[in-house]
Amino acid sequence: MPSDGAPYALFAYAALLPWNYFSVGVSNATNSLTSHAQFVTKVYFPREILPITYVVAALFDFGVASTLLVGLMIYYRVSPTINALYAVPIILVLTCFSLAVSFFFSATQVRFRDIGVAVPLLLQIWLFATPVVYPLSAVPEHWRTLYSLNPMVGLIESFRQVIVMGNAPDTKSLVTSAAISVVLLVASYIYFKLVEATMADFV
Amino acid sequence: MIDLKFDRVSKKYRIYQESEQVPGKLRSLTRRLFGNRNDFWALRDVSFEVERGEALGIIGQNGAGKSTILKLLYNITAPTKGRISINGRLAALIEVASGFHPELTGRENVYLNGSLLGMKRREISRKLDNIVDFAGVSAFIDTPVKRYSSGMYLRLGFSIAAHLDPDILLLDEVLAVGDAQFQTKCIERINELRNAGTTIVFVSHNLGAVESLCDRVFLLRQGEIFRSGSARYAISEYEHMLTTTPASPSGNLTSVEASPAAEIIAVVFFNSKGFQTTMFATGDEVRVEVEYVVHEPLDAAVIEIYFYSIFGNLHTHFSTEVNRLDLSRGRGIIEFLCPELSLEVGSFNVEASIRRVGSSFTEHVDYKHATTVSIAKGKAVHGAFHTPHTWQRKRVESLECDDAAAKLIV
Repeated sequence: MPSDGAPYALFAYAALLPWNYFSVGVSNATNSLTSHAQFVTKVYFPREILPITYVVAALFDFGVASTLLVGLMIYYRVSPTINALYAVPIILVLTCFSLAVSFFFSATQVRFRDIGVAVPLLLQIWLFATPVVYPLSAVPEHWRTLYSLNPMVGLIESFRQVIVMGNAPDTKSLVTSAAISVVLLVASYIYFKLVEATMADFV
Repeated sequence: MIDLKFDRVSKKYRIYQESEQVPGKLRSLTRRLFGNRNDFWALRDVSFEVERGEALGIIGQNGAGKSTILKLLYNITAPTKGRISINGRLAALIEVASGFHPELTGRENVYLNGSLLGMKRREISRKLDNIVDFAGVSAFIDTPVKRYSSGMYLRLGFSIAAHLDPDILLLDEVLAVGDAQFQTKCIERINELRNAGTTIVFVSHNLGAVESLCDRVFLLRQGEIFRSGSARYAISEYEHMLTTTPASPSGNLTSVEASPAAEIIAVVFFNSKGFQTTMFATGDEVRVEVEYVVHEPLDAAVIEIYFYSIFGNLHTHFSTEVNRLDLSRGRGIIEFLCPELSLEVGSFNVEASIRRVGSSFTEHVDYKHATTVSIAKGKAVHGAFHTPHTWQRKRVESLECDDAAAKLIV
């Protein structure tokens, strides 16, 4: 398996870490409203608290799991460069994107319960559509543009680049991901608030 | 000042009906996509205003829309049509302890539930001791609530909400919580809030509590405000409404047992003029004919009719117990005569029974719901029942004083 010259364990883990953050956050947040139906139907509070809680909890897990990445880097004697600081905005954008997806799925799941069953499968496919276990360079050139429409591509690849390779991220793909994430976040939050009004009738 | 305002509010729910033509799992999909759905209006065009400090009661049968009003007020769900405006901090007890997490301790749940209900962390810390004392769970406050008894659970839930100090308090059937002592505490606390000027909206089937607590009561029927007025008025209208659709029509009895030794066939009420009726007034003369048929001879039988309130409390009965009957095979009619009915205003379910009385046992041979009688206002009843009595002037003494003083007294 090509790994752009880095030790494969480190190469894969540096991408799995942000991916797990995304996937755990989204899959838990999707069920957050239906699994707390007793709150939703009995007490009023801003409903977005529930999906946000799960994304934040996943972010905490991410922080804990990062220590293992540090351990791997020490073991493989890979020292970080100043570019590692790019990780902060990358994680910020990743959080925005996770929230956007979570709002959309959790609000939709209130009416269509099957979403909860479909999401794990979707995440599985999504994992393979993202350069986590393989490098971006393994994707044929002519597919690259279409492939990069997946915001996770830019985020995961950038995270690995700045941490493991010590390179500056590909600004173009990172900015594209950020733009898509923010637009989606606003759109799915508006959608969430629209559904929220009658959520208790369906949950 | 208007605290709550409903402006032509309607709430629609969708109800789905199964289609018989589409088999199995496809059904749920087609149902979801294409319908077979009917609209159910839980509330229709409801408008009202509640002023600061007023206690509003809402009563009505199941499905009349009571809880829907509370849910709309509490912003749990949005109205389909119309506008709702709320003025002030609102706290609701839609279902106590609904926001508890079983794994957390009592103390942690006070914080969780308190913040869900809109209290600040500092405010909860300040009130924690009061809340725990009120609920009477001080010894268990650091135990996970999953180990609580259901009573402790509910008491703690009520206690949190009772310490909210809201401007508007929504109450839904909360007084069904805990033992008599705790219920008294709850009513005291609610009265305390009320006297402090809290607006209260109280939804309940406990008509006694509604009457003692509320200034104004709405009677809902099928999503509309059917009657509105003083508590006494709305409650009597409600009682009337409950009994205008009797469970089984008079004289058409259904048997409890397949083939009992004896059966009640009919229970018929007559008024003083000899007309058959089920409408009486307090103080009226009532004649009741109980027709029975005996299949196997019965010694020492007792025929009785009972008057139950719509809440199932036995109010009085007519009985042949003093003189036991020996019933031989055949039919017969027993007539009860009551010269002056002492039942208060209300509706009563009449049940009839033939009992067999042994030396150490008593057994219903036949027992059935007979009819419903309505008692209207007749002789005044202050208290639980009318007591037949007469009065006369025994002695009249006029004082030897001037007329002016006498007039003053009058």
